[in-house]
Amino acid sequence: MAQQEQDWSTTVRRSNGGVPVGLPAISEQELLRRKDFLEISEADLKRIASINDLAERYADSVIEDFYRHLLNFEETRVFFQNPATLQRVKNLQKDYFLRLTQGNYDVAYAQNRLRIGAIHEQVGLPVKSYLGMYNFYLRAVASKLVEGFPKRPADAWAAFLSLMKLTFFDMGLAIDTYVYSRERTIREQQEAIQELPTPVLPFREGMLLVPIIGLIDTQRARQLTEQLLRAIRSDRAKVVVIDITGVQSVDSKVANHIVQTVEAARLMGATVIIAGVAPEIAQTMVTLGIELTRMTTVGDLQSGIEYAERLLGYTVTRAPHKSIPTA
Amino acid sequence: MESPPLVTSDGELIVPIRADVDILLARQKARALVMPLRFSTSELTVIATAISEVARNIVSYAGQGEVELAIVQQGARRGLRVIARDHGPGIADIERAMQDGFSTSRSLGLGLPGSKRLMDEFQIASQIGEGTVVTMIKWEH
Amino acid sequence: MRASIMKQSKTLIASVQGSMTDADLAQLRDELVIGVRQHRSTGVIVDVTMLDVMDSFAARTLRGIAQMVKLLGAQSIIVGIQPDVAFSMVQLGLRLEGTRTALDLEDGLELLRLLENGEPAVGD
Repeated sequence: MAQQEQDWSTTVRRSNGGVPVGLPAISEQELLRRKDFLEISEADLKRIASINDLAERYADSVIEDFYRHLLNFEETRVFFQNPATLQRVKNLQKDYFLRLTQGNYDVAYAQNRLRIGAIHEQVGLPVKSYLGMYNFYLRAVASKLVEGFPKRPADAWAAFLSLMKLTFFDMGLAIDTYVYSRERTIREQQEAIQELPTPVLPFREGMLLVPIIGLIDTQRARQLTEQLLRAIRSDRAKVVVIDITGVQSVDSKVANHIVQTVEAARLMGATVIIAGVAPEIAQTMVTLGIELTRMTTVGDLQSGIEYAERLLGYTVTRAPHKSIPTA
Repeated sequence: MESPPLVTSDGELIVPIRADVDILLARQKARALVMPLRFSTSELTVIATAISEVARNIVSYAGQGEVELAIVQQGARRGLRVIARDHGPGIADIERAMQDGFSTSRSLGLGLPGSKRLMDEFQIASQIGEGTVVTMIKWEH
Repeated sequence: MRASIMKQSKTLIASVQGSMTDADLAQLRDELVIGVRQHRSTGVIVDVTMLDVMDSFAARTLRGIAQMVKLLGAQSIIVGIQPDVAFSMVQLGLRLEGTRTALDLEDGLELLRLLENGEPAVGD
């Protein structure tokens, strides 16, 4: 199946509780595509309309059975402890149930379904439980349909299939909200990581250690350099060890940035050692024409620190062997 | 590109450039002009350095010209626009002038690629025998 | 705005006081050269702590000072380049090749002492 471009423009809506809820927006074309794929035809819509009266008669009992079922299971019961919440949700579900057979499955209908899905997602109901609810619906309605079409089992069956198509249409929308919400959480987390200041750690007197963690974009790289240069001044550092062990790959932007940082540090009287240079990265830098001879690079952090210590005139010695007291 | 940046009601400030002292003047005027804007000390240094370079080009290659400074607005953000104009000999090979390698040493040169790196927006137009116009913008971040 | 030149035994210390015009920089260079010859100085420190902007001319001039002073048999150290200035300089591609640098006057004097005594210094 060809990858379809989702129309994810966000609109923030407020639910009844006044809590802002992020929702994906959905276009006419996307709805048509989905209906086509599910083969929802005019005939289906007619059949669904024909059971609307039936649905209205049985709405209350279906909803009662539904929540009795939910309250039987620990996993779902926890969400409906509060009686006020339970009542509110029952009312919402009844509206939901009735709306299913009222026709006119347009963008407004979809938005409404998305909103309901979002509410369930917001309260933390797992997607499997949410989908499990649809399962219950279909079975509950199936048995009522048999009663509603006495002596016409073929018609009952056809009506059921039409309803099932529509239910799957609804489930698709429900899953969309869960996915959207998940993606948004990931995006927010990534942004939070981006916001983290890169640590510039005073290591020994006159030495700074800068571990590069995660992705570097131009903005962060710039911030890092500025931060480092200020730290050189405030800590009077003569040697800086930049650890790029955690850096996956180096493109020309990042490489140039490293070079600039090395040069700027030198202007302030500090020597920079680049540690954690993997062979592939060394290769990339040579290919990019970075003059490695101008920089001091070492393979691992340990070597980098030892080199820096030697430059500063430190020798690290072990104390004579002492027996370590055991508890 | 979005709507073009508009000069704010304060208008443009023109600093005639005829000698090296004017380079300093242009920097000082720019600093004063951008005081109400949200530029960090680092950005101020960057702006002053870029102005210094383009103003210096005027003195070195055209003899005289002007640096025009203006606060501009685009949507919600404000910035400083610097236009360095001269009626000097013009630049024969703009492409070459805009080239440099990060890792090669830069002795004498027009400082154009460097200025482009320093600023957010950069445009240059030059005609042999007519002159050169360099337009740069630094936006608040 | 100008610069001041101070003599401390065999070392000349030039302090830039603020914004320098091209003429100011050239004058500083000339005066330093004269001073090194006159006093037979072995070391020169140029303190640019107060220099707000280092552009290509300033960088060229500083390199020129280093070269000329070296020809006269003295060491030179540029000190006091501020973080913002260092950052702008490298963006512009100004690296001050052929010069020695130190964080400030204190470090610069220490470095001179090490160099004159033939001791190894960080970054050599």
